[in-house]
Amino acid sequence: MIIRTSVAALLMSGAASLLALPALAQGTIKIGVNQPLTGPVAASGQYVTNGARIAADQINAAGGILGSKIELVIEDNKSNPTEAAAAAEKLIVRDKVPVMLGAWSSTFTLAVMPKLMEYEVPMVVETSSSGKITESGNPWIFRIAPTTSMETKDFAKKIDKFAIKRANFLVVNNDFGIDAATKFSELVKSHGGTVGVVERMDPTAQDVSAQLAKIKASDADTLFITTSVEQLTLVLRQAQALRLTQRIITTGGSQAPDQLIEHAGPAAEGSYHLVFFTPWFPENAPNADVAVGLVNEWKKRGYQFAGLTEGFRGYDGILTIAAAIKEAGKAEPKAIQQAFWKVKVKGANGDIAFEKSGPAGKESGQNVPNVYVIQIKDGKVTLPAF
Amino acid sequence: MDQLSQHLTNALVLGGTYALLGIGLTLIFGIMRVVNFTHGELYTFGAYMTFFAVSVAGANFFLALALATLVGVLLGAAIEVVLLRPLRSSDIDTTMIVMIGAWIAMQNGEQLIWGGVAKSIPTPFPTAPLVVGPVSVDWLRIFVFTAAILLIIGAHSLIHHTRFGRAMRATFADRDTAALMGINIGLVHTATFALGSGLAAAAGALLGPVFVVTATMGNLIALKAFAIVILGGLGNFTGAAIGGFILAFVEELGAGYISSGYRDAMGFLLIILVLMFRPTGLFRRAERIS
Amino acid sequence: MRALAPLAGLAALLAVPLVVTDQYALHILITTGIFIIAAMSLNLLLGYTGQLSLGHIGFFGIGAYVSALCSLGFQLEFTDRLVLTVAPKPVWLSFVIAVATAALFGFLIGKLSFKVRGAYFVIVTLSFAEVARLVALNWVSLTQGPMALNNIPPFTLGLSDAWQLTFYRKLPNYFLMIAIGAGAYLLIARLVRSRLGRAMVALKENESLATSVGIDVTRYLVLAAVVSAGIAGAAGSFYAHYVRIIDPDIFLFIYTVTMVIMIVTGGKGTLLGPIVGGILFGFIPPVLREVAGPELQWIIYGLIMIVVVFFLPEGIVPAVTRAWAARRGRAATASARSPAGS
Repeated sequence: MIIRTSVAALLMSGAASLLALPALAQGTIKIGVNQPLTGPVAASGQYVTNGARIAADQINAAGGILGSKIELVIEDNKSNPTEAAAAAEKLIVRDKVPVMLGAWSSTFTLAVMPKLMEYEVPMVVETSSSGKITESGNPWIFRIAPTTSMETKDFAKKIDKFAIKRANFLVVNNDFGIDAATKFSELVKSHGGTVGVVERMDPTAQDVSAQLAKIKASDADTLFITTSVEQLTLVLRQAQALRLTQRIITTGGSQAPDQLIEHAGPAAEGSYHLVFFTPWFPENAPNADVAVGLVNEWKKRGYQFAGLTEGFRGYDGILTIAAAIKEAGKAEPKAIQQAFWKVKVKGANGDIAFEKSGPAGKESGQNVPNVYVIQIKDGKVTLPAF
Repeated sequence: MDQLSQHLTNALVLGGTYALLGIGLTLIFGIMRVVNFTHGELYTFGAYMTFFAVSVAGANFFLALALATLVGVLLGAAIEVVLLRPLRSSDIDTTMIVMIGAWIAMQNGEQLIWGGVAKSIPTPFPTAPLVVGPVSVDWLRIFVFTAAILLIIGAHSLIHHTRFGRAMRATFADRDTAALMGINIGLVHTATFALGSGLAAAAGALLGPVFVVTATMGNLIALKAFAIVILGGLGNFTGAAIGGFILAFVEELGAGYISSGYRDAMGFLLIILVLMFRPTGLFRRAERIS
Repeated sequence: MRALAPLAGLAALLAVPLVVTDQYALHILITTGIFIIAAMSLNLLLGYTGQLSLGHIGFFGIGAYVSALCSLGFQLEFTDRLVLTVAPKPVWLSFVIAVATAALFGFLIGKLSFKVRGAYFVIVTLSFAEVARLVALNWVSLTQGPMALNNIPPFTLGLSDAWQLTFYRKLPNYFLMIAIGAGAYLLIARLVRSRLGRAMVALKENESLATSVGIDVTRYLVLAAVVSAGIAGAAGSFYAHYVRIIDPDIFLFIYTVTMVIMIVTGGKGTLLGPIVGGILFGFIPPVLREVAGPELQWIIYGLIMIVVVFFLPEGIVPAVTRAWAARRGRAATASARSPAGS
């Protein structure tokens, strides 16, 4: 059992300090990584962590930063918000990391944010898309992932090609899913369509046939789905079993299309997906050399290819953090926070730089990344005809 | 109307596996009076064994199911001999703590071996569903339902129409008399626990391919199995089977027409209601204050 | 001499921060302490009345949620017209409301579930906690569901805005935990040594006999459930204001399991049992951490549970007391403890 108690987790991970001080490697710069490595969204968290490891190894192989090697301190947030906050507390208080990467889901990131304010440590947000994160006035947040609004703005350029008259929504019952349902509903309405049913599912739910039966009963041409790849696999399979004929478009960039093809097979056929990295055609990426380098190293290490659509986030996140530490000239939280505003990084997704977002005086940093639409066709990932 | 028939079909298919879980647990919890927290782990174990046999060892899907069930039986027997036999005269709390310890150790064992990422089991069934009028069902689910029903019938005949079944019923009705009659009490206990465990492993093996396999998949299922046993009345075999179907119908219709979020709560609310108005369970006289 | 021992223990606990200055270690001590308090409250039911309540985390979680919601303020929409708005309350008041609500639930669940015994009782209590979790998960407009209640204010004590003490840091929270723990300990100790406590033990030993000599069984059981739930609610409330974020997973069954383990290892039906068991199971994991990965630690943890039950079925405290008494050449006194089992 994964004992998901912060108490238990803290006992396990932390009380060691009562007994013995861990042997600290001298002269390394620590970076905290707060990801879901177990639980319902474990696959995604592990992919992000793999990407982060590749970036750290590449930086270290090139001599590190400021003459020191970087060391990733990786904590499992167990796919749970309270655990995410506890992991952040542990990274900051016990491991004394000056900067962190995390925490995958919007819900986990929002849970961590008060800790950043309390201890004044910056964090690069690699995945979470909820608008709240960068609009709540937390100056320790620097997000490289797109917000749901950015995703809809990008999708707005293509939506007329889909000619959506009526859309249904099936979203995961958390910040990520609810935000997506709201923003994409607005988009559909503003392009002359109507919204049918909006169904929610628990992040850990495995059987969604009841929701799908309702969706099937509502006559619409398109179904938007927002969740992580594990649940999406089950949704697609069950949708096929119910002969749901609505066109499926998934949002959020956490769909790992290759994993869908492998696990959902024909059920994934014809579905459209909004992704933020296209490892199938890395040479088309804005920074082709970086993207190709990442894809090659990923394959060399034998990681699952499907994970690259998540893995690039960890990779870009660590590149960004390393650039900020270098810019700051020292591994201290405040200096790194200031340095984030100045960094310009060539990442796998594209060029990374932070714009101010949120209430004046305590802005968060927000990057404007690229968004792509792909389609699964004949068991392969393709760029849609338009 | 179409939606209703679809919900009813879904519930029927789900009910088969719930019934399977329920009868396995009623043997252990109802008859042996062991609050068996490893039941969910046997379920998980069955699913991982199927995954291992199919995806790693490359075995035939049906052979893998049989193997997983068999290994479940053996594991159940081992648990009984090692953990429960020395504690046979202890009270219900003591054995419960031991079973919780075993549950923690087993679940983390699975986690250690297979990692945190969910596994998916490929099946030989066509992905296009069977369509009958307004209703469509996955072939895989039809197979799962049929297999579950066959296992339930098999277990029922084993208990009611064989010498072993008689010995088992005699043992748990009156242990001393059974011992005097020359029944090997130890063997009956082991066999009963193994049978219950085998049924749990079979349920896991069957549902594993329908959903995905994770180390924690057994947690909620174990709680539901307890609910099914109570619904049917402790130790009531037929009651547990019916209880499984009732739970499935309540969950599916509740999810369809009340709220999909409260799907899993339906069963527990049902238990509380049943025990409020009929503290004996639906089908049997209860254990009351002496 | 006997009366001085608890005082000496309290003094030792108060002195801990003099030795342990590491903030993270203090954090561990506080969270462990909260769970020991919850385990102490469960011990009242499990150890003294012999009722195996597996839904105890339900009271802890209700305490946490009620306290968090009161201190944050909330809105209940019954219909469009009928809206109940509750403005944020001071934390101490939220704490009191949380304790009262948890106790009320103790009363209701007690009334309902003491109709049945044994395995049925186990399942009713377990279902209660699970329903509570699913309500917290799905009543998104109130509880934020899986998004968690965040930014819960820390504990504040004070008469007015000018005279306020806010518990942000670890050290004051540690002392507050000790204060709540000591209060719970005193309450339980007084209760079990009263007439009521003797009645509880009597009905645990032999319920039919207790009934026949005129003990109103259900009334005593319900009373025990009320006190027990109230203390668990207090622990839950303190937990919410200490970690300052709670989500529906607070209701997970495993937390109840953790409490049961603490009680059984330490010794059911002894005042010190949950404390000894709690400290032990608070410290085994960090020791293991030095030698093993997380899964392996839990495997060993599970095995230790089994071994303890096999070799120390009554728990540590009764075993040690007996060994001590035997060494002093006296028969073990029967007060303050009872034989294992029910």
